[in-house]
Amino acid sequence: MPELTSPAVYFDGMTAARHDVTVELNDYAVVIFDRAGELIDQWPYPRLKHLSAPAHIFRIGLRKSPTLARLEIADQDMAHAIDLACPDIDRTGVSARKARRKAIALSFMAAVSLLAVAVYGVPAIADRLAPAIPQGVERRLGNAADTQVRAMLNKGPGNRPFECGGAAVEQAGYAAFNKLMSRLQDAAELRLPLRAAVIRREEANAIALPGGHVYVFKGLIDQAENVDEVAGVIAHELGHVANRDGARAVLQGAGLSLIFGMFLGDFVGGGAVVLAGKTLLKSAYSRHAESRADAFAVRTMDTAGGDARALGRFLARIAGKTRSGSIFLDHPATPERVTQIDAMAPPQSRGATLLDAAEWRALKRICAGYV
Amino acid sequence: MALAEASMAAGAARRHVRFTGPEKDYWRIVVRGAVLLMVTLGLYRFWLATDIRRFLWANTELDGESFEYSGTALELLQGFLFAIALVLPIYTVFTITVLDLGVFGNVLSVSAVLLLAFLSQYGIYLARRYRLTRTIFRGLRFHQTGSAIRYAICAVWWWGWTLLTLGFAYPFTRAALERFKLGNTWYGDLQGRFVGSGWHLFLRGFLMWLAVLIPLLTTAVSLLAIRWPAVLTALRGSGDIIGRLEKASPGFVGQLGLGLTAFAVTLALVALLLPAFHAMVMRWWINGIRFGEIVAKSHLRTRDVYFAYFRFILYLIGFLIVLSVGIFFGLIFLGAFAQDGTPLQEFLTVAMMVGTYVVFMLGLITLFNATVTLSVWRLTASSIELSDTAPIERVKAAGDASSPLGEGIADVLNLGGI
Repeated sequence: MPELTSPAVYFDGMTAARHDVTVELNDYAVVIFDRAGELIDQWPYPRLKHLSAPAHIFRIGLRKSPTLARLEIADQDMAHAIDLACPDIDRTGVSARKARRKAIALSFMAAVSLLAVAVYGVPAIADRLAPAIPQGVERRLGNAADTQVRAMLNKGPGNRPFECGGAAVEQAGYAAFNKLMSRLQDAAELRLPLRAAVIRREEANAIALPGGHVYVFKGLIDQAENVDEVAGVIAHELGHVANRDGARAVLQGAGLSLIFGMFLGDFVGGGAVVLAGKTLLKSAYSRHAESRADAFAVRTMDTAGGDARALGRFLARIAGKTRSGSIFLDHPATPERVTQIDAMAPPQSRGATLLDAAEWRALKRICAGYV
Repeated sequence: MALAEASMAAGAARRHVRFTGPEKDYWRIVVRGAVLLMVTLGLYRFWLATDIRRFLWANTELDGESFEYSGTALELLQGFLFAIALVLPIYTVFTITVLDLGVFGNVLSVSAVLLLAFLSQYGIYLARRYRLTRTIFRGLRFHQTGSAIRYAICAVWWWGWTLLTLGFAYPFTRAALERFKLGNTWYGDLQGRFVGSGWHLFLRGFLMWLAVLIPLLTTAVSLLAIRWPAVLTALRGSGDIIGRLEKASPGFVGQLGLGLTAFAVTLALVALLLPAFHAMVMRWWINGIRFGEIVAKSHLRTRDVYFAYFRFILYLIGFLIVLSVGIFFGLIFLGAFAQDGTPLQEFLTVAMMVGTYVVFMLGLITLFNATVTLSVWRLTASSIELSDTAPIERVKAAGDASSPLGEGIADVLNLGGI
């Protein structure tokens, strides 16, 4: 080690007073003398740490020190000599850049693995957790959703009941509907209480909410050509109930919100990433749930003695023109669904035995009480 | 004190504070940071914030001694993880209670908004404590006393009034909160305080406030006068649309025109007055700061701040041109690469739209950061004049490093800042 001395500025960490000092290097340490030549302190090389400072100043401190004592050296030769003597200090920033690259690589990998969790982990966790949610919680969840859905769908005049089956002309249809429901429920081996109703909406649709709410739209019954078509759609919705897809969707949504929003996407403009990511993944989860509900419907219809392929035919008819799949659709493309249903359904169909002809005619008029 | 102020008024301009950071280095930090934010979907933010602070602190000098920021990105990451652990249960409990309780749940969700506001302010105060205790000057650290809970209650109360009075209470809010913050700020054993008065700021800013408020209120009044439900129904018919709308809501065209004009005027005035407002508040704030006997005075010139904003606009125009060229080539690539209607093409289209939006927003904020934020920091620092700074020599060490939890809370609630 060459004998090297240079002036420096020293702060002792006790007061803010500035001390003009001389530093000297020996084999083990940076030695600090005041201008009168009195020894102030010795800083061993292994304990030195390099601190943030403007470019022209080399600022060092002492590791594991109770104070924030600082030494500031403007002399570049001295700075270089300390840098050489002390393996931990890298004045040129080589190891800092290395550490930074590592941090960047790690956070990139963390982002990728969080995305992987969103794609594979969240649905898997929701699958495991959904059956564990108590029925009571799911029912309350369903009631909250029910209030919202009713407010959204019920656009009729105030004096018209939203649910069909109450008026005198609707009584027979109501009985037929209940008979159909209980046959399907038996076939599906659903134990939880269902709250099913036909509602006055013109669309050909049916929905299942958490907690066993099933709504069949009037338009669906109007457009069906036989009871198996209606039954197939209801069986599909019972599939959502049996698979607890409502609770599952809530869990999936919570998981996605945690990943997109809390961990990822927290930067200006990140909102678009969050929105796109959540929408794409939710649609993917939902397509999966729809396929499973179709499979459930086929099994249930087969057990109940109905025509399992009626669902596919009905879907193809109400979907109208063939549309190709989209990554934003929450249902698989209809032709795809029909193919799958046909592949799963047994070839022999036993015909319409779920309701007799009179009951089917009555069901068709379940909403006839109000126009 | 009076003596100090008098000597300042009489004395030559003594600029004790300097900013020496090269602009090029700052550009490199923020532009690289923006790219890495995109690549890591935001996880790089802890490193970027640390880089920016290190640069700004290290290049700000007081009497030839530069400040030092000693915080690390890992501390910020740790604070973020702590905060998630704290905020997540609160979120969960609230979500479940709201679902469970029906009408009472609605009352609760209102209080959830209040709780969130409270938590944000709580986080802001703790985050300030973290930044101060990581600020080292001449071998001593700054620190912050005072209860974060009390600060949060005060802040929610005052900002609530500011919102309710459409900004009328803003000067008094700022004065009250700065008094709280600076009164609890210490450099070693030297206590800060804030003497700026809300009325002062109010009188200076009143005309600006009025200039923006009048067109804003005009917008609100004229748009509220329109009978919107009737107009929406009338939109669905066919034929003479103007006539139908006029019939549904008399005076519709005039009101809508006035409302939109007034709104455009509001926006234009905000854009024109923003730099002046920025400079005015900055001067008022610096002039109110005291540390012991040390008095600060700001000579920040409004026209310099205008120039900083002007530069931002020039850069923004350049950026938009580059971005448009990029979009053009992106579309050509998309057309050549993927066939119509395939999921791949759909995915690429979405990715491009999202990507463009992200690049635009990040570019906007990065340019603002590199021009306005840095310039105003430099201008403000170098325009500060201090009374005698000799008392600094006698300051003794005090205070300890605090936890980065507050930074984490602010980050979880999307309130991060430098």
